[in-house]
Amino acid sequence: MILLWIGVVIAVAAAIGAVVTKDFYRRLHFLTPVTSLAGPVIGLALAIVNGWSLTTLLILLTIVILGVTGPVLSAATGRVAAQRDELE
Amino acid sequence: MNGWEVAAFVLVIGGIVPALILACRGDAVHRLVGLELASSVGVLVMLVMIQATGQPSYLIVPLVLALLGFAGTLVFTRLLGSKP
Repeated sequence: MILLWIGVVIAVAAAIGAVVTKDFYRRLHFLTPVTSLAGPVIGLALAIVNGWSLTTLLILLTIVILGVTGPVLSAATGRVAAQRDELE
Repeated sequence: MNGWEVAAFVLVIGGIVPALILACRGDAVHRLVGLELASSVGVLVMLVMIQATGQPSYLIVPLVLALLGFAGTLVFTRLLGSKP
């Protein structure tokens, strides 16, 4: 339960930080904690509760997909914004 | 209301609501950040809600959302790539 609440606090703090931040490129950084930190922590909490089972495997698969695709999406979005701002 | 349900509720209020706010302001690329955040937090909310309700057969839903959220956002980045 402690791990769950740590993950929830990280996700909520990152989401609020993204809203508060005015600069777009700084705001992009706030997406990463949700997928790379809060996701694995919440997944770990769920895995500990469920034990070794197919449920845990499916949860971990979802978390891994979330963790791998999150930074890719941030990079893709940043690249599009840079192209539109004619930075690259 | 058990702890998992409370955590899911906090995630919805503290995660989905800011994502909706982000998805409502700025130009198209700026709003895309809101979509990404909503997709990521949505997966986490679903995982916690499934644990709260004790229905592991629903786990396919967040798995598919994680995959489709990735593909969908990439389509948006592709379409927004060239300036109109």
